[in-house]
Amino acid sequence: MGAVLSAATGSTDAVSAVKILFSPTDVVGIKLNCLGGKRLSPRPELVDALVDRLIEGGVSPGNIILFERSSRELERAGFSIRRGGDKPQCFGTDNDYDRQPSVSGSIGSCYARLVSQTCTALIGFGVVKDHDLAGVSASLKNWYGVIHNPNKYHDNQCDPYVADVVRHPLVRQKLRLTVLDGVTAQCHGGPAYRASEVFPLGRVVASTDPVAADFWAWRAIDAERVRRGMPTLEAAGRPPRFISTAASYGLGVGTAAQVIEVEA
Amino acid sequence: MSMDRRRFTALMAAGAAAAAAPVAVEAARSRRVGEIVEGDDLPAREASWYRKLAEDRVECELCPQACTVADAERGTCGVRENRKGTYVTLVHSLACSVHADPIEKKPFFHVMPGELALSYATAGCNVECKFCQNWEISQFRPEQVRSAYLPPEALVEAAKRSGARLTAATYSEPVIFWEYVRDAARAAIKAGLAPTVVSNGYIQPKPLQEVLPLLRAVKIDLKSFREEFYRDQLRATLKPVLESLVLIRKADVWLEIVVLLIPTLNDSEAEVRDLARWVKTNLGADVPVHFTRFHPTYRLTNLPPTPVPTLERAWSIARAQGLNFVYLGNVPSHPGENTVCPGCGEVIIRRLGYQVLENRLSGGACPDCKREIPGVWR
Repeated sequence: MGAVLSAATGSTDAVSAVKILFSPTDVVGIKLNCLGGKRLSPRPELVDALVDRLIEGGVSPGNIILFERSSRELERAGFSIRRGGDKPQCFGTDNDYDRQPSVSGSIGSCYARLVSQTCTALIGFGVVKDHDLAGVSASLKNWYGVIHNPNKYHDNQCDPYVADVVRHPLVRQKLRLTVLDGVTAQCHGGPAYRASEVFPLGRVVASTDPVAADFWAWRAIDAERVRRGMPTLEAAGRPPRFISTAASYGLGVGTAAQVIEVEA
Repeated sequence: MSMDRRRFTALMAAGAAAAAAPVAVEAARSRRVGEIVEGDDLPAREASWYRKLAEDRVECELCPQACTVADAERGTCGVRENRKGTYVTLVHSLACSVHADPIEKKPFFHVMPGELALSYATAGCNVECKFCQNWEISQFRPEQVRSAYLPPEALVEAAKRSGARLTAATYSEPVIFWEYVRDAARAAIKAGLAPTVVSNGYIQPKPLQEVLPLLRAVKIDLKSFREEFYRDQLRATLKPVLESLVLIRKADVWLEIVVLLIPTLNDSEAEVRDLARWVKTNLGADVPVHFTRFHPTYRLTNLPPTPVPTLERAWSIARAQGLNFVYLGNVPSHPGENTVCPGCGEVIIRRLGYQVLENRLSGGACPDCKREIPGVWR
């Protein structure tokens, strides 16, 4: 984890990387994607490693919050619920959303108050997996989990909705880092875990660019699909078009020519 | 009725009193009638209208969204979930709002005037109207809304206790809790109550036709007569709604229509004229049409309330097109709230808001000229 953080920020070490991204007064929310349960969610040991690096870099332990849509989802993925105190916290948004919707492009949603009120900085921590409608669920799609009504925005392959969720200043202005647990990935049948479709990708990814992270995940999924003789996502009729939409919004870069992969 | 999703307005005393009533649905676990359900410990019951697809996907066959849903995902409505290839409804018997309202509030103006309707809803909706008055329950998922376990028999007990002679599935969108509507209607009929539904009509023909025989009356919100309005303001389509209206009219069910007029979006003379003409041609001149006043809310806060003259103009256009029963809504004390005999022009039922001030109806007919006034009067 320290190595990828360093590589992602061009720093000499993890402590420097964290100091570039966060201040000691930040309240850092880490949005996990736990829909896939224990077998297809960020590994707790990897998340712990990230938390340790944040603390080493000066973030106050009590100001680190691991969160997902519900506490139950976190528990199913192997996380223990902790609220309050001076240790890192971990709990679900559950029912704690803004009381009024705000509009971002095509979406109108109440955001989780953790995002809108509590946290001053955000980290997306997802996995690398296929999504039956969106194409890819890795970086940007993870943020569907901070609005109250994601079910309204799955038509048209979630485009431009995914990009619109992240474009909202509540996310865009706070999102500093994206981490993907790609140790095990899934190339088909997502977003739920499907044993026959997972494969050992063996990568942990960090990026300060959430769009580039998704582009990388897309390529990784397609490479495995091709290896298995399956059509690419494009050929299967569900390319993750929200990636180029997000790039067009200026949320990051999403072309092969622009994304630089650095092995840590 | 505007509701806070964190408040639950159910008749809990009635629910508790009905605890001994048989539970007609299979819950994920045994639940006490009236039990508050908050969070994701939701009752799950296999949905009645869907088909299984390859790789554990399902296609919902309830509404025209026809969502294809992968394992662990939900449909647009947010209340139906694919669990390893079995599609389940998460809101059967899970009422987030229950209240005994005057039937005029639905509004039904030709259905048992002055009676109470035990009105109920669950969380969720299959469209997203930017002007939704009840968005705090309709646009949320069931685990985000405080609800109570209220199976059909308990609902009927609550209705009888409140003095209601009708039930009304309303507030959010009954289509998304259609199995609950069906089973509650059966229980209501058994108890001698009249089941009604207040809906957007955005439903596939098969589930509609399966439940229609159980209903006494249906009110449809015809949001506009333009496809682009349905696309831009609801993320839906008009055509299936028109098809539903025709199906309802053909069935032995009383039908009323509400049109919420929103300044600049659906209030043009041409649109109102087209709508009224279509109603007369396809449904008949006796179907009541209510033009109601918009108030800014949810995502549509940049428009003013509908000017009363706009509503009056719509009233005149619809009457000129030959509709016999045209009403104005959300304009208390306006004469457009009254039922006027199309034969002699005399006022038959005089209303003030949801109150019936005077009902001169005599055996379902005008007391003056004896013209029959269509409706469900008893």
